Amino acid sequence: MSQCLGNITAVKKEHFVPMSSENTDSILQLIAKGEESAFNLLIEKYGNLVWSIGRKFLYKESDVEDAVQEVFIAIWKAAEKFDHTKASEVTFISMIARRRFIDYLRKVSKHRNLQSIDRDNGQELFKESILNQSTDLQLIKDAIGTLEIEDQELLKLSIYQGYSHSEISKLLNIPLGTVKTRIRRNLIKLKGLFDIKQRATVIELNNA
Amino acid sequence: MHKEQIQLERLLDLLVLEASVNLSQQEREELNRLLDLFPEYTSDYFHKTTALAQVGFYLEDDFNNETLPEHIRKKTLYRHKKELGQSTVTDYLDHFMRTLFYRPQFAWALTVLMTIGLSFSMIEFKNYESNFRYLPLKKIVMEKTADDLIQYPWHSRTNDLGPINGDIVWSDQQQKGFIKIAGLPMNDPNENQYQIWIVDPLKHGQPVDGGIFDVNRTDKAIIIPINPKLPISKAVGFAITLEQPGGVVVSSEPLLLTAPKERPQETFPKV
Repeated sequence: MSQCLGNITAVKKEHFVPMSSENTDSILQLIAKGEESAFNLLIEKYGNLVWSIGRKFLYKESDVEDAVQEVFIAIWKAAEKFDHTKASEVTFISMIARRRFIDYLRKVSKHRNLQSIDRDNGQELFKESILNQSTDLQLIKDAIGTLEIEDQELLKLSIYQGYSHSEISKLLNIPLGTVKTRIRRNLIKLKGLFDIKQRATVIELNNA
Repeated sequence: MHKEQIQLERLLDLLVLEASVNLSQQEREELNRLLDLFPEYTSDYFHKTTALAQVGFYLEDDFNNETLPEHIRKKTLYRHKKELGQSTVTDYLDHFMRTLFYRPQFAWALTVLMTIGLSFSMIEFKNYESNFRYLPLKKIVMEKTADDLIQYPWHSRTNDLGPINGDIVWSDQQQKGFIKIAGLPMNDPNENQYQIWIVDPLKHGQPVDGGIFDVNRTDKAIIIPINPKLPISKAVGFAITLEQPGGVVVSSEPLLLTAPKERPQETFPKV
């Protein structure tokens, strides 16, 4: 166990050496094994991401604060379900975070607006660490890049900013039916690209 | 368009909604019905896609450089400890203070409560003569704050009473005082009431009415505030008599207790 922790610490000290999705030293796996200190690592590594997602979904800061705590507890409880052959750690965490924030959003029914938010240049380094740690993240960036700029904007509003389809329709002055159709079409396209990559990863793992 | 195609498109719409916003109960029921028709789809069909896209947009968003606030990190660690059953009293206090100071509404609420509490306390103390709450505390406060405090033990003036314990404290400057007594028999307020007298020969020819009181317990000492009906110049002695309900202006009843013991008899109410 200490060996595992040592590796993760090394990843941090060396400033984000790539950690592939098949790495057996993932934080979630340590949590699943009952390593209590791994929870600290989880917050340290993904705190900014989860906080950032929460800020996109929820309007009131106090709601974000509560929801973020719930998200991390939920991740901690679900860690044993994590399967690195099906999703990368960051994908797994993002999935849980999204579900929790969507649930929370339904409860409070207040949407975070599009105003600018606090900035911290140190965050850039953190983003780089996420990008490097998992091979499928470069793919997602490339995949999003294949979409039309307008479609990227639609997906961004829906997925990243958490706006409902009717809100997007009003915001961009596009018929609701068009919003639905374009979001559905582009999600299907992205899913197709991800699934291809997923299958390739599984084959790589099986051949390793 | 074939019916099956229409159903499939509706299913995909609902799956997209499911992955981006929560479905209503009606939509969820519809989704479940459609999933039964198309078993190759699952309710989390787009979950991974949206999660990955979320991270992708996050990485691309140069304007989003937020960091998890330190107090949220600590709160989350506290909740984790709590889940593990490892939180200590120190953790709890730390969490409480953190919650208090990082949530302005809590700090404001506490300030308002403290202001109300302080105001209430001041009113309580200001009107202490007319109420009987917190008397031990008020007596202690007066004893600590009065510069001209006088204090005498009670002395029985009749053989009809058993052993009497207690004292009287008074401040001319504050125009207030308290008596503390144990051993007085209980009275029936419908028949009679005890009355306090203040002897102030410099200003008043007759003892001044200091208020009435009842004894409704004998198991422990009672504390009664003194309510002078006239301003007192310099109190030199105190007495207690048993009078008709409501008290009298000039007493004709025998003295039960006096303080101090040595008193100029002419200053007491006539017997």
